[in-house]
Amino acid sequence: MENLLAFACLLLTLVLYWLAKKLYRRTGNWWSAPLLAVPLLVIGAVVVGHIPYHTYFQDTHWLSWLLGPATVAFAIPIYEQRQVIRKHALSLSCGVLVAMPVAVLSSVWLARAFGLSELLQKSLAPRSISTPFALATASTIGASPDLTAVFVVITGVAGMLLGEVMLMLLPLRSRLAKGALLGAAAHGAGTAKANELGAEEGVVASLTMMLGGIATVFAAPLIAWFV
Amino acid sequence: MKNLPNLAVKQSLSTLSQVVLLSLVWLLASRLSHAYVPEIPAGVLGMFLVLAALALGWLPLSWCKSGARWLLAEMLLFFIPATVAVVQYPQLLGSIGLRIVLVILLSTVLVMTVTSLVVDAGYKFEILLKRRKRQHGVL
Repeated sequence: MENLLAFACLLLTLVLYWLAKKLYRRTGNWWSAPLLAVPLLVIGAVVVGHIPYHTYFQDTHWLSWLLGPATVAFAIPIYEQRQVIRKHALSLSCGVLVAMPVAVLSSVWLARAFGLSELLQKSLAPRSISTPFALATASTIGASPDLTAVFVVITGVAGMLLGEVMLMLLPLRSRLAKGALLGAAAHGAGTAKANELGAEEGVVASLTMMLGGIATVFAAPLIAWFV
Repeated sequence: MKNLPNLAVKQSLSTLSQVVLLSLVWLLASRLSHAYVPEIPAGVLGMFLVLAALALGWLPLSWCKSGARWLLAEMLLFFIPATVAVVQYPQLLGSIGLRIVLVILLSTVLVMTVTSLVVDAGYKFEILLKRRKRQHGVL
């Protein structure tokens, strides 16, 4: 019975993901964005059905497992965009080196100022980078990978909603800066938004996202010492 | 027309085998990382291995491109199970959850502002350098 339920959970996750993706592509409504809709619906189903998390995770852990190969896959776009990296090495590295400490420090300091527990401070620290990198960082710094995964998703939704407003408010000249804004603050969700603005913005956003993720993973011991 | 489904099957099979290839690299990288460099996460180590293999010409780009594209395009699906883990933390609903969302919103605005202004300044500096180089070239 439990095995059947676990399989049904995997099936439900896949079907909801497929439906949300289709709906979002057709309508473009922000509430049907798979990033927002699928986790909410799946969490709702698990809560309403009183399904224990270990049952839900029994079969769906194969999906989580694929995050490993997905991290390896980042090598291909980085390799393909090596010309852009070379051309804008200065701006890109400035952006990454500034974005990473601002994201980590402001998350931790704000969490501390709002009286959130140490575990929450740690789990918020890597929230602005892409999930596989964030999870790798979380396990190094003694954060909860589960909580970090949730905070990464909330960050993505926040970035989708705030990105447009900030692009209007800030006096930005270059496409480079617009791409970096979205990629550094809102990882994959920001990169998707940047691709809507234009190809150059999209490339810069994905590069900022990937390089920022790698830099944060390598800075993890430093973050652990700080938090 | 008859060949069309055939082609689609062929393409998905090649994407699938490329995903398997990248998964094998990841398994190899986790072994290596476990045994020699526990400081570097397996995924990042595997990424550098593939990057090196591409740069040295040992691995043709066409052997992993469509698999990588699929993995990255569907990445959202892979982290949904982790987000569902939030059901184990019912204390996050209410005041604590509200404070967390506030932290994320404020920090996101800060990251967006600082990063984009710095990159804009860096871009202007890049143009300045290029212009200076050109002038020196003329002289």
